[in-house]
Amino acid sequence: MAVLPPDLDAANFARFLEELRGAVGADWVWSSEDDLGPYRDSFSPVWNQAEERHASAAVAPADVEQVQAIVRIAGRYKVPLFPISTGKNFGYGGPSPNVTGSVVLDLKRMNRVLEVDDKRHFALVEPGVSYFDLYRHIKDKGLKVMIDCPDPGWGSPIGNSLERGIGYTMPQFRDHFGASCGMEVVLPNGEVMRTGMGALPGSQSWQEYKYGFGPDPSGLFAQGNFGIVTKMGFRLMPLPEYYRTGLITVPRRRDFVKLVEHVNYLSDSSLIGEAVYGSPLAALMGDKAFYALATRQGGPSDAEMDAAASKAGLPSWQVDLQFFGPEAATRENWEYAKQRILADIPGAKAIDGDHFPLPATEEQLLNTTQPYKTGIRRYGALGVPSLGIWRIVSGNGHVGFFPVLPRSGEAVFEMQRAMCDGLREFPLAGRFFNATTAPLYWHSYAFQMVFAPSVKHDDPALNAEVHAAMKKAVAVAAEHGWGDYRAAPIYQDDVADTYSFNNHALRRFHEQLKDAIDPDGIVAPGRGGIWPRRFRK
Amino acid sequence: MISRRDLMKWGAVVPALVGGSARAMAAVPEGLDALVVDSRHAPGVIANPGGVRVLRFDGDVTQLWFETLDPLWRKPGFVLGGITGRDALFVLETLSWDRGRRVVSRKDMPGRSGRMDGPISWVIAPVHPSVKKG
Repeated sequence: MAVLPPDLDAANFARFLEELRGAVGADWVWSSEDDLGPYRDSFSPVWNQAEERHASAAVAPADVEQVQAIVRIAGRYKVPLFPISTGKNFGYGGPSPNVTGSVVLDLKRMNRVLEVDDKRHFALVEPGVSYFDLYRHIKDKGLKVMIDCPDPGWGSPIGNSLERGIGYTMPQFRDHFGASCGMEVVLPNGEVMRTGMGALPGSQSWQEYKYGFGPDPSGLFAQGNFGIVTKMGFRLMPLPEYYRTGLITVPRRRDFVKLVEHVNYLSDSSLIGEAVYGSPLAALMGDKAFYALATRQGGPSDAEMDAAASKAGLPSWQVDLQFFGPEAATRENWEYAKQRILADIPGAKAIDGDHFPLPATEEQLLNTTQPYKTGIRRYGALGVPSLGIWRIVSGNGHVGFFPVLPRSGEAVFEMQRAMCDGLREFPLAGRFFNATTAPLYWHSYAFQMVFAPSVKHDDPALNAEVHAAMKKAVAVAAEHGWGDYRAAPIYQDDVADTYSFNNHALRRFHEQLKDAIDPDGIVAPGRGGIWPRRFRK
Repeated sequence: MISRRDLMKWGAVVPALVGGSARAMAAVPEGLDALVVDSRHAPGVIANPGGVRVLRFDGDVTQLWFETLDPLWRKPGFVLGGITGRDALFVLETLSWDRGRRVVSRKDMPGRSGRMDGPISWVIAPVHPSVKKG
């Protein structure tokens, strides 16, 4: 499906492509349908539908100077660019742009690990560096640092953090944008800017003090469209000496409220890594009567759920705890967690888990030695990139809606009920929102839940249902003060629209900035729901 | 470009290898450098059919890709055949794009029930000038 950039005819598009070839070499500009296949969103629920967004071309620069040249050429022709790092943002649009006809700026060739310091604990990388690349670099050089990577780990630290992606280790590293420190950006006029201490010539602390002096604009480049990030620093965890796990279970549904408060305390005190919540009662969802109870309009009562748990001989909730540090510290922190929780919640139980020195062996990474059923995916938990999660992805992938909610048991119960009721017209939703749904503790200081229904390229009816359910989910959540944290281009306007305090003051502020910096929308117009004047007509 | 003749050869030979066909093994064309076998779907392939190196995995391609394919795909050449589940092909195809490669042959194979819900046989070959040989 050949498309042209907005407001550009075929002749000028051909001239534009010729200029790109002059800037980066003919081998690194693509515009045929075959070559653009990799730049489609293969997880799209609007696959082959009118709503699907298509690129008109793709270009892969080798260095910052070529990025600048491309931006200036695009500026002259008013062609929108859609920068990607490795293009693995699956579930959130993959490499496909917001605006059909955009040219994908594929930064995969800029793949140098510029620096890893295992005494000051940071890395500086280019956008084409994947988590696997960074892991390989650290491993090959025997450096004593641990990365925090998403699962799967084929994305890039820069791309993932700019999407506010997450990992699974300690709180200060799981929030990937929060753990970033210093960036280099090509602005929409082609100029190169560095943030924080990078703005001070001769500074040696670019990756250690992110603010520098004055306002720090780095947040504008996350889920934004104010520039193209070409270098970025990340804080790394010193390789911990030891790793330990433990499981806490609580008997009653309402015990979850206290359990969450205790775990919040442990996490905010930096005593634990990612806490993985679950409900053993989820195993009963295959039973029709229990499914009906767990998805009942208005939600089940505590007594009904407790009776079901008691009948099945199962605890209502559990949490997998993870400890990093010196062996003695992990042992004492686990002992403290047990004492604290078991003393406060009647009937709570603790089971000692696995423990071993780091780095882990392959067998330990496979997590076959945990003495209980665990929700921990060990590779991610120990900062080892993996592709194994793809075994559980069905159909042609999935979309993703991850509403943010407060870290409290009551908020979890309310989201279970409200989302289950609000999406009742979509039978698939009950699997995601029911009385056994546990929160995700990926971000450091907030919970999320997950709605990620699968799509199939050859089943447009299913895809249409998923698409409608996604839009409804955004709306239902917003009615309760819950917002999505990350969205595919086809949902970004819907999500941005829900962040509407004071007549959309935030969006209007972003638009003012966009109009001042990039009025023609050269960099990813529409990304994050931010449209420049040219596209707001 | 990969020649049409090669495509036809690879497209026919790779699935035939699943059954350990002697004729197929003898006919593995030059230029197919290795064969990836997903043990979940094709347990029967014998070692080194026709002298071609067999790389086995159990559905999780992480080790195979990290230890073997990624280093090979960074260099010119290396034509890879495979018999895998769709999930594994999705991962390998997506990764191959980053290294100037494409799936140049793809064929659905019957599943155990006889329906077309089984593995896929495929060939991934270098297509970008930066990784094409010669």
